[in-house]
Amino acid sequence: MRSILTDLPIRRPRSVYAIILLLVAVAAAFITQITIDTDPENMLPADQPERVFHNLVEDRFTLHDALVVGIVNESHPDGIYNIESLTALHTLSNRILQLDGVIGPDLMSLAETDNISQAGPGTIRFEWMMKEAPVSALQAAAIREKVERLPLLVDTLVSGDGKAAAIYVPIRSKDLSHPLSQRIRSLISDLGTDDDYFITGLPVAEDTFGHDMFVQMGISAPLAGLMIFLLMLYFFRSPTLVLAPMLVAIATVVIIMGLLIGAGFTVHIMSSMIPIFLMPIAVVDSVHIMSEFADRWHEDADPKDVIREVIGHLFTPMLYTSLTSAVGFLSLLLTPIPPVQVFGTFVAFGILLAFLLTIVLIPAYIVRMKPAALARLANRKRAPGSDTLLARGLRRVGRLSFGHGKVITGVALLVVAVSVAGVFRIQINDNPVRWFKASHPIRVADSVLNEHFAGTYDAFLVLSHNDDQSLPLFIEKSRQLLNAISVDAAESVQSALEADTSDAARYYGDILNAADDALFNSVNEPSIAALTELIALAEEAQTNAKYFQRPEILREIESIQQALQDSGRVGKSNALPDVVKVVNRELRGGAAEDYRIPETLPGVAQTLLQYQSSHRPQDLWHMVTPDYTSTSIWLQLTSGDNQDMTGVMQFVDEYIAANPLPSGVQRDWAGKTFINVVWQDAMVSGMLKSLIGAFVVVFFMMAVLFRSVRLGLLAMVPLSLTIIGVYGIIGWIGKDYDMPIAVLSSLTLGLSIDFAIHFIERMRALMRQTGSFTEAAARMFEEPGRAITRNAIVIAIGFTPLLFAPLVPYITVGAFMAAIMALSAVSTLVLLPALIGLAGPWFFPEARQAGAFEGPLPVPASQ
Amino acid sequence: MMRQTVLVCAMALATGFAVAEPLTDADGIVARANLAAYYAGEDGRSEVRMVISDAQGRQQRRQFTVLRRDVAEGGDQQFLVAFSQPSDVRGTTFLVHKHVDRDDDRWLYLPGLDLVKRISAGDKRTSFVGAHYFYEDVSGRRPSDDTHELLETTDQQYVLRHRPIQPESVEFAHYDTWIDRATFLPMKIDYTDASGNNYRRVEVLEVGEFDGNPTVVASRVSDLRGGGQTDMQFRYIKYDLGLPEEVFSERSLRTPPRDWLQRSSD
Repeated sequence: MRSILTDLPIRRPRSVYAIILLLVAVAAAFITQITIDTDPENMLPADQPERVFHNLVEDRFTLHDALVVGIVNESHPDGIYNIESLTALHTLSNRILQLDGVIGPDLMSLAETDNISQAGPGTIRFEWMMKEAPVSALQAAAIREKVERLPLLVDTLVSGDGKAAAIYVPIRSKDLSHPLSQRIRSLISDLGTDDDYFITGLPVAEDTFGHDMFVQMGISAPLAGLMIFLLMLYFFRSPTLVLAPMLVAIATVVIIMGLLIGAGFTVHIMSSMIPIFLMPIAVVDSVHIMSEFADRWHEDADPKDVIREVIGHLFTPMLYTSLTSAVGFLSLLLTPIPPVQVFGTFVAFGILLAFLLTIVLIPAYIVRMKPAALARLANRKRAPGSDTLLARGLRRVGRLSFGHGKVITGVALLVVAVSVAGVFRIQINDNPVRWFKASHPIRVADSVLNEHFAGTYDAFLVLSHNDDQSLPLFIEKSRQLLNAISVDAAESVQSALEADTSDAARYYGDILNAADDALFNSVNEPSIAALTELIALAEEAQTNAKYFQRPEILREIESIQQALQDSGRVGKSNALPDVVKVVNRELRGGAAEDYRIPETLPGVAQTLLQYQSSHRPQDLWHMVTPDYTSTSIWLQLTSGDNQDMTGVMQFVDEYIAANPLPSGVQRDWAGKTFINVVWQDAMVSGMLKSLIGAFVVVFFMMAVLFRSVRLGLLAMVPLSLTIIGVYGIIGWIGKDYDMPIAVLSSLTLGLSIDFAIHFIERMRALMRQTGSFTEAAARMFEEPGRAITRNAIVIAIGFTPLLFAPLVPYITVGAFMAAIMALSAVSTLVLLPALIGLAGPWFFPEARQAGAFEGPLPVPASQ
Repeated sequence: MMRQTVLVCAMALATGFAVAEPLTDADGIVARANLAAYYAGEDGRSEVRMVISDAQGRQQRRQFTVLRRDVAEGGDQQFLVAFSQPSDVRGTTFLVHKHVDRDDDRWLYLPGLDLVKRISAGDKRTSFVGAHYFYEDVSGRRPSDDTHELLETTDQQYVLRHRPIQPESVEFAHYDTWIDRATFLPMKIDYTDASGNNYRRVEVLEVGEFDGNPTVVASRVSDLRGGGQTDMQFRYIKYDLGLPEEVFSERSLRTPPRDWLQRSSD
């Protein structure tokens, strides 16, 4: 297998080209089928219980994805309550209603909301809040007065300070958010208003995110390619030669992305980073081959023989570095976040593919190079000599590191201690809106609207009542009563009684209808008595089943809402008690003291019956199910930070622990802000598993590769220091541990192990070759040291184009990858020699037996 | 020839007066339809079972009795609507004095809050107790609120288009009715919004004859935009009971006229 792989490209370079070209072409064809997925919900598997429940809640309370249009007027003394602003809002609201894809009946705006108010003594009025735009300042002020009497609207539809209003535009599908927001934007520009308009909402954010992802892939990845090309050109000074690894990188990226898309995966924020990850990793092996080839080739040699020799020499270390890197990425499979798993799998696969392509394409390319080009390469290689700044610096590093083992180890331990302290300071937090830069229009809209309103982030505290005792009891009692009823009358009641009980309104309604009809047709006394009793029973059961209509339960909910408000953790909560209290107040004459829940259950039921006599009766079902067995408290949060949502959840937990819910009442969470918390928790614990998993597997691989547990342990040292160091930095600088930061740990492991492999492998080979530790230590910091440094620089610089990406997670990854590469190259080149200097004979028993450690130790440059 | 005559006779029997010469005056047809739908007899009584279903099929039930008295044929009317089911809204009562020349008078009694309220004249196109029916569908929209156009006369029906005289006061751009040529009952009404979408439909599912009056016994209104529908079933229908005027006084709100509200077996 190995000989076929290494021989074929040398003998049949054209066939190799043809096969790779074909693969690339096929893959490129698949790439055109790309589907972008920007839904943060997809961070969770489709069958994740919390996600399933979230979707259930959306159905149960007919909640839709919505765009939020914000209107701000800071200049007018009456804020948005002026003729022009309200006219513009009214016009816009009506025009948005005409747009296809908007769920008109659920649109919320001042122009589409109902008002209940007093119209003289003892008279109540139901009307549209703003059927027509006002034509006088007086009318505008009247609208303000009406709005401010309705707590459900204040800080939701209009800000408390009157300076901002909102239109919530529910849409039929998220895919429509882009065209719809574009059309709304053009409607806004037609208004000719001076007010500031903002469009936000999760669908818009997701959509913009998708667009920016394309920008990232279209600009950052090619830019990374260009950077790498220039760097290699600087190192090797031969455009012809450097073209070869670029071909490997491009072929790898195209084939992997084609494979990903062809396999039916959507491109998510994680997978959109695959090209930029593969690009630098793919050229690393080529750098080794080219370095060695340039070293060994001279004008009399046959390039075929030289390349055979080079490949033979590098095959095992390259295979191992590729395998370990792949393991690092594959460990992401242990994280239960599907996009992370897809990312890990395809990057791992890409690394192996890059290895394969490198060992077939680079030789094929080199043997087809013109002798003149090869000659230039050899001349240039030798001409500038080895005394570059890099070379001199490295030699000094080598002497220092081998000679000052104790100091360096001490410093390393200190770094570990400080870093561990930093790790404990890490704040776990994320917020998809913060994935946009602070200057991004979405972030601007987000901060403006959250400043004015009670919050644009939604969470739903869902209470459900489960009662599995009352119904069987009712059925049993009713059956007994049926025995007393004459057979023909009993029949219809019987079948209603045995019917499906899932919809309480239907079930009890049918029983009552049947019993009512039977009663009307009954003539015998016992039947009449039994039916009358059965009707009373059914009515009682029916009323009891409507659990969240009970005044005492509504007061419980009111207390939860009050506690949440007092805690300052939520901007506002909206729930059924608010509706009941407003209608009760207006029915009773509008006095503030009547803003309360009626004492009796019929009082509540009749209040709600009046609420339903509005233009928008369906609004009730956003808060409670029609059978009143489940209710939803809508929390508005001004921050989408997971930390803040977690704080709210903990507060509710504590509140409920201190004030237990009535028996049979269950509490659950839903809403996008909650879902983000769920996947972040899964991410944090999953990443730890991934890291530990990868660490163990890589350690075993190292032990096998070096056939030594000691060297296996040594190989793990630089990357361990790097990981602890990087997370220590994150803890100390106060950067939140978010999605991109979480992914870094496994990547660090996969990438920085390469340096250790090359270092230890070369060190051992040099000792074997020279028979002297001193000699090996000196030579180690010649060509091998330079190769490691070059590779670290290629990868670090290769990721820097991410710094120019439009989205924050990419920038984070770019910045930290550079830091990680620098840190792991330094720890490899400094800490490994220091440790070997201290305990070389223990690490290399064979060399010790061969007497390699008997000479003088390398002397630090300063001495 | 003979066969044809028999056929025509059979059709005439089946469809009542369908063979009568069709009317061509839209306003005249609307006036007749208004009478047929809302003014049958001098007064009337009916028990209504209402099933409100949302787009997911989740139900709400209502049951109420309607008493009606005509002050003048085609003119002012009085309605008393008393709820009996579900039991938590039992006793809730609406009283409407419908006027053709001015705003209606409306009252509401809520026993659970022990409150009698006047309801301000205003928008009548709000939901009737959560149903897809509007208040206006219950007491009838004034023919003079719209202009009427006869679109088509089929074998069975007149098809008319109605446009609001005050478009800003309603949510529809126009509506079309299919009026039975024999009974003059509107069998279907389709409402169209400003974008030209048919978003709401009221349709008669079943017609019966009571005391000589063709009467709707089952009807449905459907929300064609958001889904969901309300079914109404009319039972124990009686006409010309001789309902006295005091039944429709404010006093009846708190003390319902049980004798008239109760169904009788005769």
